[in-house]
Amino acid sequence: MTSVAERDGKGDGKAGRMTGRTPLAARRDLGWIGIPLVAAVGLAAFWLLPDDLALLTRIAASALFVLSLDLVLGYGGIATLGQAAMFGTGAYAAGIVAVNWNNDPFIMLAAGGLAGGLIALTTGALILHARGLTLLMLTIAVGQIVQEVANKARDWTGGSDGLSGIDPAPVLGMFRFDMYGRTSYLFALAVLVVGLLVARRIVRSPFGLACRGVSEDPLRISAIGGSPKSYLVVLYGVAGVFAGMAGALTAVTSGIVGLDSAGFPWSAEALVMLVLGGTGRLYGAVIGTAAFMGIHHILAASDPFHWMGFIGLFLIGIVLFLPGGIASGVERLGGLLRGPSQNNGEDRA
Amino acid sequence: MTALLEVEGLSKNFGGLQVSSDISMMLNAGDRCALIGPNGAGKTTFVNLVTGVIPPSAGTIRLDGRDVTTLSAAERVRLGLIRSFQVARLFKSMTVREHLELAVLQRDRRTFRLFANVAKVAGLADEVAGLLDSMGLTPVAHTAVGSLAYGQQRLLEIALALAMKPKVLILDEPAAGVPHSESQRILDAIDRLPKDLAVLMIEHDMDLVFRFARTIVVLAQGRLLCSGTAKEIVADPRVREVYLGSRADAH
Repeated sequence: MTSVAERDGKGDGKAGRMTGRTPLAARRDLGWIGIPLVAAVGLAAFWLLPDDLALLTRIAASALFVLSLDLVLGYGGIATLGQAAMFGTGAYAAGIVAVNWNNDPFIMLAAGGLAGGLIALTTGALILHARGLTLLMLTIAVGQIVQEVANKARDWTGGSDGLSGIDPAPVLGMFRFDMYGRTSYLFALAVLVVGLLVARRIVRSPFGLACRGVSEDPLRISAIGGSPKSYLVVLYGVAGVFAGMAGALTAVTSGIVGLDSAGFPWSAEALVMLVLGGTGRLYGAVIGTAAFMGIHHILAASDPFHWMGFIGLFLIGIVLFLPGGIASGVERLGGLLRGPSQNNGEDRA
Repeated sequence: MTALLEVEGLSKNFGGLQVSSDISMMLNAGDRCALIGPNGAGKTTFVNLVTGVIPPSAGTIRLDGRDVTTLSAAERVRLGLIRSFQVARLFKSMTVREHLELAVLQRDRRTFRLFANVAKVAGLADEVAGLLDSMGLTPVAHTAVGSLAYGQQRLLEIALALAMKPKVLILDEPAAGVPHSESQRILDAIDRLPKDLAVLMIEHDMDLVFRFARTIVVLAQGRLLCSGTAKEIVADPRVREVYLGSRADAH
């Protein structure tokens, strides 16, 4: 026993000293570089790809949405195909507020986040006692209901025609949303980066720690005196705020909200993007969204009939060879560069 | 002085099958009691009844004078009735330190702080360091539990239970799955438990039982067969008949 302990002890003591932090935490969010990197690459893209700002804006807003899914799935272990319910609710809330009362982009974001959070809290409290497939079905059902309500409430939402005429006021009263989409993109990028920072804060909080525990073994959480369901409901609500803000961000930057924003395909696509990028890492959501939408953009232009097939092949390749998503590949590469001691506790999948 | 744990007439039937019948026992502060019995004696059922995993058919359970019979398992945990699991039940991807942080935060009901930093919660680091030290886990504090030796996982189970500041601690076969030669470390850790704690250990290994327990309770076929000091139990012919006799031959 002692010899085992000593051997283990020595090895890990060394790793701990060399990195000065837990290998696990370092692996989970690439330490401090992940988020500044997103900001830097985002700004670089602004200068390098001035003709693709509309696409880049969609990527930034979608990444915020996929980030909300990562909170739910990657940190709470909640299997969902209905995250678009919160996205769509947020988008409609922001659009309705803008058209009827106030078109300030920050007010729109707040309205979207509030609506998304509220719908997530109420539906979450109703469905999160279920697990696995049952829960998956219930999340799909919630998405369908939200979409149908939006479809029927024509007076407010425009029904199947979509809600148009959203014309957001200049950001902080200074920066107009120009026709080239410069303001839109920078605004979306800024919101995404702030979203990542807040998400990281939550993930590292006592609450985030408890949620990771729930995702691994809810009964063990009960055995230390916690209530797994209340953690999951609050997490679902928090992620709902993120998803609602992502919806609002789309409404601000595109000026239109359609029924597909709450639809099942959008939920499923977000899941694909997250798995592609890597779950439980936050920045994996950004990588996955950028990869998926970037490839889609390139392929759809060159081969509009078969692009989905290529995406499928790409996804199969990732799942087979990099089960932790693109992010895990990046981390493995980083681990190799920094030396073997970084590879502790790899592959949580 | 009131007993810390008081069980009275505890019974459980599954349909017509009576798995626990009319069990009464009590634990005082500082008690070191072992619960033994042959396979199928109802030891695990008894633990599940006391900790609130399954509801009893009849009987009452009092914790520190308070009737907890109808409370949920989590509520009993919050009142200081803590158990460790027979098979180490831990969060595989979390480090040893994270386990203890979570347990302490949960105990203090500080787990709904969404924007606090775990590393900066007041007093947490010191308390966790103390717990790590008490179980000799400091060298592996940053290791993910999935890659920990099994004996160390058992030690972490005990540390986790201690982190919740128990009044009554139930250890369900704390050395199960640990090679005999290494169970000494587990026993050393149990020896160092706070003196005022009431400890009930469920154990098969008679060496461990005799080294740990000052009193022993014997269950057989869901009933309390007898209880007393280790010496009395060894001398009791009924115990020899149902349990020790056959075990002694097997050794």
